[in-house]
Amino acid sequence: MRSRPGAADAGSRSSFSPEAPIETPTSAEPARASGADVEIRAITKRFGQVVAVDTVSFVVRGGEFFSLLGPSGCGKTTTLRVIGGFEHADAGEVLIAGRSMGQMPPNRRETNMVFQRLALFPHYTVFDNVAFGLRMKRLPEDDVHRRVGDALDLVQMPGLAARRISELSGGQQQRVALARALVNRPRVLLLDEPLSSLDLKLRLQMQEELKRLQRELGTTFVYVTHDQGEALAMSDRVAVMDGGRLLQVGPPMEIYEQPRTRFVANFIGDANLIDGIVESADGEAVTVRAGGHKVSARRQGWERSGQSVTVCVRPERVRVVAAASGGGGAGSDALRARVEDRAFSGYLVKYRLAIDGLRLHAAVPYVSGTSLHQIGEDVTASWDPQQAVTVANE
Amino acid sequence: MRIRGAAVVILLAPAMAAMAVLYVIPLGVYFINSFHRFLDGRILPVWTLQTYVEYFTDSFTYKVMGTTLRLSLLVTALAIVIGYPLAYALHTRVRSASVKGLLALLLFSPLLVSVVVRTYGWLILLAGTGLVNTLLRRLGVIDQPINLLFNMTGVVISLTHILLPFAIFPMYSVMSRLDLSLKEAAHDLGAGWWDTFKHVTLPLTMPGIVAGALICFTLALSAFVTPRLLGGGRVQVMPLMVYNNTVDINWPTGAVSGLVLLLMSIAAVWTLNSLLRRLPSV
Repeated sequence: MRSRPGAADAGSRSSFSPEAPIETPTSAEPARASGADVEIRAITKRFGQVVAVDTVSFVVRGGEFFSLLGPSGCGKTTTLRVIGGFEHADAGEVLIAGRSMGQMPPNRRETNMVFQRLALFPHYTVFDNVAFGLRMKRLPEDDVHRRVGDALDLVQMPGLAARRISELSGGQQQRVALARALVNRPRVLLLDEPLSSLDLKLRLQMQEELKRLQRELGTTFVYVTHDQGEALAMSDRVAVMDGGRLLQVGPPMEIYEQPRTRFVANFIGDANLIDGIVESADGEAVTVRAGGHKVSARRQGWERSGQSVTVCVRPERVRVVAAASGGGGAGSDALRARVEDRAFSGYLVKYRLAIDGLRLHAAVPYVSGTSLHQIGEDVTASWDPQQAVTVANE
Repeated sequence: MRIRGAAVVILLAPAMAAMAVLYVIPLGVYFINSFHRFLDGRILPVWTLQTYVEYFTDSFTYKVMGTTLRLSLLVTALAIVIGYPLAYALHTRVRSASVKGLLALLLFSPLLVSVVVRTYGWLILLAGTGLVNTLLRRLGVIDQPINLLFNMTGVVISLTHILLPFAIFPMYSVMSRLDLSLKEAAHDLGAGWWDTFKHVTLPLTMPGIVAGALICFTLALSAFVTPRLLGGGRVQVMPLMVYNNTVDINWPTGAVSGLVLLLMSIAAVWTLNSLLRRLPSV
């Protein structure tokens, strides 16, 4: 598995420095006992002239909640559909439970899909919808009844089996769609933005619900979403895609703390992105010259003197102190700034700081009783270099 | 947007006038005539149910009615059975929108040619020495030419061809509104092609089938040109009888026959509509 040609390909194709191949941490980390449930090897899918998925490789481990995250048109849904067998890759290979899928149709794969528009059968009752997969397997009707009942209990929809789909609320339809897929006990459940049509409150509730189901059943989930909050909150690991390419795979915290590219840094959470030229890179830190300023960040290892990079600083890592009190903490660069704007949001105070040629966002926890910086006030902004990170400047 | 009273009247007036002149008044005349009497080549303006009694006690009436129903049912069934796979193929197998448009145009092109011309076309094709018989004989399927003309067979073939577009259009339109992810979902849940068709596509396109059948059936009921030209007097259907009665100035019998035909159409519409209402909406 280590010499997967696809993985290497994915790395070299990306536009950032070859010293930081995108190689997923998957092959480096020990796989769980259950092993890889889904393995994608360098798949490419074209629609006419458009390359929807470009040499994407990754591994989803058994029992994992794995998210494909990216803006619309990034290729995440196509990737999911290739796994499910609804599209066939022009190049590359899909393995499910170690077996190459080739041209195998969806009805013969150990996967089930929850569709974006749910695709519940409007001419069937809730029961008949959920029973569909079992009846296709010609299971005895007794078993069908028992398992459909269990599945409806599982999604907390007991007693609604006789309803028509049109008589259900959006959230209930969502649950039926889940039950209809899960009742078949798939090895891998594929979910294509299933919550996108729900309102915020219901969406958050269903997120918890999905997480609970996944924990209880131990089923592998491959979840497609464009909502980074959703992906971070639910997933064991997240794969970030853009323009058909896989940019980074890792646990949510790693993606947040160590984005590899400018796109990932920007797409996941809020980020201050400061473009500059590496002045020195030694020891733990990199010093970057940006405009007339010097900023520092944690060294990744691939930075070279004179290279153009971007420094990513999360707003909550920026310290803001009144200029009068002089400088920031030890080991950090202090930038003289002026408060341009301020927004108080309860537990956080957000500042927009103007620093000669730069703009910096800071999010400072609000401590009861302290006074806020005024708009127009001169302040000093700084951060711990270990909490800033260099990302490839695309 | 609300349209005020006067505007409604003005907007509806042309349609109402056309309906009145072309439909309501003739129907009224019919209705009145049905109570008159036809005797010795003259219409007697008396008020009697005698024509009705004679019409419904004549065994010939039921023979004609039977032929009409048989023809209509046969043609409707054939048009649906031939049209559905065609519509399905057009919907699923053709990807390019321009090819789809071209094929649809081709399917509907018979409508651009007059029924009379098309019927004469079939007259040539189905004749004893026509294309169909010649072909079948060359292929060794038959020894003697089979009678395709001036009987039910010829009328059914020709009328099916004429009504096919009317069957295809509603079925195709329902199919094209079908959410494709429903088929994918069935496929995903383990259904092969046949199960997907049987459990998802067919039930969900049933409204199109019913609508197509309704149009075909009512049009077949009132078909006149084809039975007249290709039936050779041996396919006696109700519109032909109405026509003959009218030509003979036997307006009362023609009126009764016409009203019965109208009631049959209404019954068909009502039956199929109530069937439609019980089907799921797509």
